[in-house]
Amino acid sequence: MIVENILHRPIRTLVSVLAVAIEVGMVMLVVGMTHGMLHETAKRVQGVGADIMVQPPGASLFFGLTQAPMPVQIGDRIEQIPHVLAVTPVLFQFITQNGINLIYGIDLPSFDRVSGGFVYLKGGPFEHPDDILVDDWYARANNVKVGETLHFLNHEFHVTGIVEHGKGSRLFIPISTAQDLSGARDKASIFYVKCTDPGYTHAVMNSIRELLPSYQIHSIQEYMSLMTSNDLPALNAFITAMITVAVGIGFLVIFLSMYTTITERTHEIGILKSLGAGKRYIIDVILREAGLLSILGIFAGYGGTWLAKKAIVAAFPTLTVELTVHWAIWAGLLALGGSLLGAFYPAIRAARLDPVESLAYE
Amino acid sequence: MGQLFLTTTAEDAGGIHRIGRMEPIIATENLKKIYRVGKVDVPALRGVDLVVQEGEFVAVVGPSGCGKSTLLHVLGGLTRPTSGVVLVDGNDFMRMSDAERTKFRRHKIGFVFQRYNLLPTLTARQNIALAQHIQGDGFNPHRFDAVVEMLGLKDMLDRKPYALSGGEQQRVAIARAVICEPKILLADEPTGNLDTENSQLVLNMMRNLNRDFRQTILMITHNPEAAAVADRIVRMRDGRIVSD
Repeated sequence: MIVENILHRPIRTLVSVLAVAIEVGMVMLVVGMTHGMLHETAKRVQGVGADIMVQPPGASLFFGLTQAPMPVQIGDRIEQIPHVLAVTPVLFQFITQNGINLIYGIDLPSFDRVSGGFVYLKGGPFEHPDDILVDDWYARANNVKVGETLHFLNHEFHVTGIVEHGKGSRLFIPISTAQDLSGARDKASIFYVKCTDPGYTHAVMNSIRELLPSYQIHSIQEYMSLMTSNDLPALNAFITAMITVAVGIGFLVIFLSMYTTITERTHEIGILKSLGAGKRYIIDVILREAGLLSILGIFAGYGGTWLAKKAIVAAFPTLTVELTVHWAIWAGLLALGGSLLGAFYPAIRAARLDPVESLAYE
Repeated sequence: MGQLFLTTTAEDAGGIHRIGRMEPIIATENLKKIYRVGKVDVPALRGVDLVVQEGEFVAVVGPSGCGKSTLLHVLGGLTRPTSGVVLVDGNDFMRMSDAERTKFRRHKIGFVFQRYNLLPTLTARQNIALAQHIQGDGFNPHRFDAVVEMLGLKDMLDRKPYALSGGEQQRVAIARAVICEPKILLADEPTGNLDTENSQLVLNMMRNLNRDFRQTILMITHNPEAAAVADRIVRMRDGRIVSD
């Protein structure tokens, strides 16, 4: 009977399934994009190849939120600490052209020592102060070629090389240029420190803490673990708000769908009651129908989310959408729970209908 | 008539109140049903006394608005009487809750309506099997086949109501009503929407059910020809039985 009811009202079924699919897709994409971007950023920082990062007091782990420069000379003092192989300063420049991006102002020789050097897919390293390196994802997303001119920070940059992605940022300029543009001569936002052996990480961190007591010193492993939505202010609230909106949409559509269905099928409910169907039977029928609609919507949502991910990544190659089984299950459970909740009142109302009045209903 | 009901009471396994020494399958005494329409009380039944023995085929006739359908709804447990005594198969409806009357109806009552009342989304087979499903004893293929054979429905089981004639729909409705072997079949104008030929067919089937299986039938009609197939004709007017 449930399957027949669903097939008998194809438009209602389609709208309900679509609403649940949107709900599932919204939850999975919001979480997937948020987590994807966080993890991808963290992986890029890890890709620099350092063991430790040093930031000035008050700096945020989310680099774009603060510049907080510190003297580059600090790097020379860190380099003298035993078991330190290399130190490289980076000055951040936050831009919003072609999406949100963080430009790394780098000292190329020391950056190469820490990172093991860029892999140049096209072109080569900086030769002039106005040169810029872009990674392959950025180049593909914005159709950038070696020799082109890019306009950032009220400045023209000459693309001298396209490098393999995964080394901290997508855009790199000489640190001296970044310092000039931001009026922060001889300053850096962060120092990446590479140890002679990763086993010395904690010993080196302790030495840096003695040297720079109020500075923020994190191992890269620690940084990776902190790059979650729980540690970014308001991000969890944003995700929760989006999930609430998504579940609310599913709840309301299923509620409305089942409520109108009950009105439309009042006579049929009267027939069921005349056959001896009790309240529990009626509630069960309504909830199972809502459940089936929801399950169809959940699977449609999974398929739609997968397609949406493909479309997003094709349109915005620098975006990372991280779809996980964990969140797929959560999105499904939220959709199912919301749908059953939405169907509950109509089900109760149907169960309470008077059999004689229902039978007389036209 | 009071001596028929007022003896000892007990509860059966289903929690239904039963009264001892119940010879008639239906017995009402001074049965009243008053509907509240806005602020006005509308009496539909004004004191009905009726006794129906097991295996009887009783026709209730009377003009529109005389309370026939209300009597059927009360006897089927679809609505609670306002006052009086209603015993159906020894169960005192006045003392039973809605849930208890629903449970009783599920196992003991079969309804046939003028408008057939088949579920439009289901095939004839599914409509008939639905009653078994609601009863909760599962699908009984032997009973199903026997009823389908008896009512000549074999070739139309996979058709939906819109693909059946009125007579065929009513036969499906009768099959649905008797598939669970109810003690009482309550028919509300079962031939009201049918032509003469189909009316006769449906009445013959009900007659056969009564004769061959001792099915107790209470049929409401205002068609004298339909009433004539019954063993007994009860006439109602203004919410009362005027002749029996």
